[in-house]
Amino acid sequence: MSKEKRSHKAQKVIERMGKKLNRQVVGSLVACVHCGNCTDSCHYVLANPGDPTYAPAYKADRIRKFFKAHYDWTGRVFPAWVGAKSLYTDEDLEELKDTVFGKCTNCRRCTINCPMGVDYATFNRMARGLLVSVGVMPEGVAVVSKDQWEIGNQMGVLKEDYLDTLEWMSEELQGELEDPNAGIPIDKEDADIVYSINPREVKYDPRTIADAAKIFHQAGANWTMPSEGWDMTNFGLFSGDDDLGGAVARRLYEKVSELRGKKLVISECGHGYRSTRCEGQNWAQWDIDFVMESSVITMLNYIKEGRIKVDKTRNTTPVTFHDSCNNARSCGLTEEPRELLKLVCTDFREMYPNRAENYCCTGGGGAMSMSEYTPRRLKSAKIKADQLAATGAKIVVTSCHNCVDGLADCIKHYKLGMEVTQLVNLVANALVIEKKVTVPVAEPIAASDLQGRRILVTDDEPDFVTFVSTVLEDNGATVFRAYNAAEAMEIARREKPDLITLDISMPDKDGSEVFADIREDDILKRIPVCIITGQPELRKLIYDKPHRPPEGFVSKPVTEDGLLLNVKKLLKVAHHQPEGVRKQ
Amino acid sequence: MSNLLHFSETTLQEVALGIMAIVYITRLTWLMRFKAGKERQAATGLGDTTPRKGFIYSWANVAMPWGMESTRTKMFLYSQFVVFHLGVVAAIALSFIIPYAPQLLDSSTLVLVLQIATGAACLVGVIRIIRRMTDTYVKAISTPDDHFSLWLLTVWFAFAFLAVPNSTAGGEWHLLTYFILTAFFLIYVPFSKISHYLYYPFTRYYLGKSLGRRGVFPLRRVN
Repeated sequence: MSKEKRSHKAQKVIERMGKKLNRQVVGSLVACVHCGNCTDSCHYVLANPGDPTYAPAYKADRIRKFFKAHYDWTGRVFPAWVGAKSLYTDEDLEELKDTVFGKCTNCRRCTINCPMGVDYATFNRMARGLLVSVGVMPEGVAVVSKDQWEIGNQMGVLKEDYLDTLEWMSEELQGELEDPNAGIPIDKEDADIVYSINPREVKYDPRTIADAAKIFHQAGANWTMPSEGWDMTNFGLFSGDDDLGGAVARRLYEKVSELRGKKLVISECGHGYRSTRCEGQNWAQWDIDFVMESSVITMLNYIKEGRIKVDKTRNTTPVTFHDSCNNARSCGLTEEPRELLKLVCTDFREMYPNRAENYCCTGGGGAMSMSEYTPRRLKSAKIKADQLAATGAKIVVTSCHNCVDGLADCIKHYKLGMEVTQLVNLVANALVIEKKVTVPVAEPIAASDLQGRRILVTDDEPDFVTFVSTVLEDNGATVFRAYNAAEAMEIARREKPDLITLDISMPDKDGSEVFADIREDDILKRIPVCIITGQPELRKLIYDKPHRPPEGFVSKPVTEDGLLLNVKKLLKVAHHQPEGVRKQ
Repeated sequence: MSNLLHFSETTLQEVALGIMAIVYITRLTWLMRFKAGKERQAATGLGDTTPRKGFIYSWANVAMPWGMESTRTKMFLYSQFVVFHLGVVAAIALSFIIPYAPQLLDSSTLVLVLQIATGAACLVGVIRIIRRMTDTYVKAISTPDDHFSLWLLTVWFAFAFLAVPNSTAGGEWHLLTYFILTAFFLIYVPFSKISHYLYYPFTRYYLGKSLGRRGVFPLRRVN
């Protein structure tokens, strides 16, 4: 097929590839000898025996084919002989999308197992970037990238929600420690530490913020959190979009410089740490004049320096540690977490293989945001599930929020009965508070917390409705169950609950339409709404509506703690959410 | 020795080597035209990992089967790799020994060593051909070049094995075939996957340097 007959998008992909090629990538593209040694280093292959389309070399060849056809003269002269083949149609691009987004988490395990040093993950990311540049990407990638470009963080957390959460956590901490100085300093200049977090912490796991604040407070740290530029995650790593990667990293670096912070501490997140600590400066072409460090190292140093004291007997449940791919295979952060774990837990059990040889949680590379590939992802998680089960541990610890979600999904799917937590939670739990006249441990959510609250739960999955309802009822709430849109509206009008949870995908009527109906109803519009969906990429259906956005947005899978924290937060904050606030 | 054999042992090899050198230089120039990516960030990781240690480890990786899971758990495949490449070294050495230092082959020990190396490599070649044609995964990623290169080398090993004694008592055909195959091999290599060894130092250097800077290489492993 001639160049003239090639689709416009395919032509652009080919042209733009030339600008993305560097010596490292070209070396990796030409050096593969098709030995097949990488094959069983990939969790997708192990979970799909006999299907060669998952083999790293096979997947790499989908990219290598058009590289050879256009940039390597052996492919131009003898295309069939060396397996060169150009891209012609938009269907070709869709096939490529399926491979580079849906069959690889860029975990880099094949890279470290390649005798030739072929870095497939790096040029797979390049291919993702090429496709993204012509708009060919999973819906979730588009939505999350847009949020990070527009709102400044990848979960679309509004500034007021972020600050509200910090205020809430500050109040909790002050109450717990009975110390009015134990809050979270915001935008403090000349601090020794600027602490950056993952927006997931704001949305689903604010206890990690409170735990970190408690540790900083106990260590007497001169620290702060920025009011803007606080998101250390970077979807550019997953989408392959270097421009997005550079813009996000620069936003963070500039804020630290503006505050004249001496050190940027990055909370526990594998891709966030890699993006901010290792890749961001390259993408942004930006040299920084401050130090960057993982919070794991910060916490470890606090213990070693005697700035905080811990009592490991407070964490006696058997734990194992899951190495995040980005931390272990791209940033060498393997020993510090173990050293820290052994200081704060009594029963640490190693997982095998581990460190740089560990298997991906299967949620990496942005896979959690690509719901169209969820069945494939969960199938491949069998490898991880077997690894987890073999440890005999009850808790899996990981220094990555992406892994928390990926592992939680894996544990739920394979019914492993384990919990997932992070080091910051264990350190905070082991923390010895010097002045123990106050309450020593985090205040649990009492059964009476939701007493008298009336909550409408809407979802077409009966199991999920049962799960949510049980959790809420166990905590004192009165729950109304709706399994479709019509029921939801009928119950909402009749009962006028304090909170409505709403699924997006429902058989009779789309959740976004139900949401619009609620917002357009003079009485119901005042009721806070929490979207709970397994397809977070569909959130634009909600946010693009000309209504006040939902007060809460939670992605499935939902843990009991995550659900309660969000419901509690919503019921607390909803009354002062101003009317007519729109996402900027 | 016939004129044809003499020509094949000397002039033909020199011309083939010259073509190979020119194509190699062209190929390397092409590769070097691509700018090397630069890493701006400060080095991370514990003290035993540095960019220098990283690339040295990466280069040495070829001789450390325990270093990678893919070789550690497949020692038979790794052994094949070693035997096959020793065979390549022996067969190439033979192409210089016969025309320029044939007296070395007076040593029956050297003849035995070279025959073991090339013979074993030929056997490994057969095993590899079978694997490439039957293994689901390897078959799926194989190009005509992969198959042809492997056949070429395997046949070349067989004739190298026959050529080692450098005897024309039974005729010249085996020597002639060996040298013509060697010349073809030299010319074909830069165009084929066999040229992978040209890229090996680059790929492993850059990967090692980058992962050394990031505290990953040398790899730590706890069993």
